[in-house]
Amino acid sequence: MSPRRPAITSFGFAGLFPVLITLFMAALMLLPLGTGAANIAMPHLVLISVFYWLSSRALLMPYGACAALGFILDLWLDVPMGLNMVLLLLTRLFVLNQLKHYKGRSRIVHWAIFTVLSLGLYLLAWLIMSIVYGTLWPIQPIAVQWGVTAFSYAPVAFVLGRMRRVVL
Amino acid sequence: MFLGLEATGQAIPRQVRAYSNDVVSPILRVLDQPIRAVQAGLERIAGVGDIYAENETLRDENDRLRQWREAAMQLARENERLRLMLKVPGREVPPAATARVIGVGGGAFERNVLISAGTSDGVRRNLPVVDETGVIGRTIQVGRWTSRVLLVTDLNSRIPVRLERTGDLAIAEGQNEAFLMLRFLPEEVVVKEGDRILTSGHGSVFPPDLPVARVSEVGEGYIRLEPLGILGKLDYVRVLDYHAVPDEDAIAIPDVPETTEEAAEDGQ
Repeated sequence: MSPRRPAITSFGFAGLFPVLITLFMAALMLLPLGTGAANIAMPHLVLISVFYWLSSRALLMPYGACAALGFILDLWLDVPMGLNMVLLLLTRLFVLNQLKHYKGRSRIVHWAIFTVLSLGLYLLAWLIMSIVYGTLWPIQPIAVQWGVTAFSYAPVAFVLGRMRRVVL
Repeated sequence: MFLGLEATGQAIPRQVRAYSNDVVSPILRVLDQPIRAVQAGLERIAGVGDIYAENETLRDENDRLRQWREAAMQLARENERLRLMLKVPGREVPPAATARVIGVGGGAFERNVLISAGTSDGVRRNLPVVDETGVIGRTIQVGRWTSRVLLVTDLNSRIPVRLERTGDLAIAEGQNEAFLMLRFLPEEVVVKEGDRILTSGHGSVFPPDLPVARVSEVGEGYIRLEPLGILGKLDYVRVLDYHAVPDEDAIAIPDVPETTEEAAEDGQ
């Protein structure tokens, strides 16, 4: 009987790789690219990365890591503290509950699920921002960023997939 | 808990953010290098074709600017003499720091940028930030080596302004879009497209007479403004060391010759 493969590459660089690469993506989100001041053209790379790793190696992206990444992103992006934390924790909750329905399916299915999930998360973010600031937040920039994020999922997930093959 | 702190306007989240920006700034500087190199390369390639025509235009412009410079220097000298005579404090605002934009925050929710100057460079909270064309915003979080600038286009940005042509006061309000809205302008004021909007100096954050925006559209019940600061291509910016109430030493008072006072005392 062959020894059972561990469910988690627990220690060392490989085990930390998903969190580190997601942290790197958080820093990338801050770069003054494209339109510069209005960084709505920058996709939510952290959300893409977290969804990808949860869908492929969920144990390497635990609740604590999602919360910490969200917190750091809130600090760096200067959005209300807790906003991205909530979004990433909800992403984990969603994936853990729904993964059984789409695990092993094609990339297109993953893309479609991410698109729907991110739409819900952006709507929730819009609601939270409107409540925190006590005014209805403009919906158009949020819709644009959702579109850019949803569109970017396929290429970013492809790159992450290549990295996963090399590292994990 | 965090959202609660945020909603009640506590200072702790702001300070934590300011120092977290310091932590990420070295990473951003490193990541920024190849991007700037590529951008510069592309701009160079795009510019080669137009270089002769551009050179000609620049020569003409240079000649015109020389004439303007002479006129401006003459006016400045005259202005300075009149200020001294009338004991009017100077209105020139010295820069606290010149910094580079190293990051962009907010995503779809807010409009702010991270600049490479902090308390170690003399930057404080609520200082005006300008580029070569106009106001771009004000500092809202200041760390040791970095600061965050709330842009004029952010939804939370309100700048007291006046219409350059008529002098009427109003508020330029950010919309989280590429444009601003002009609010609280008296109804009888006739606004034309192209009118320039300057800071009024009220509110103690922005000095008077800095260019902010230009009227781009006058509609039924709204006036839309196009910011003059080049917000889409920010690179270097200046943080102005503005105090609403000038230091006593900065007020230009003509020197009174000691001999006059002594003579008056002798006469008593």
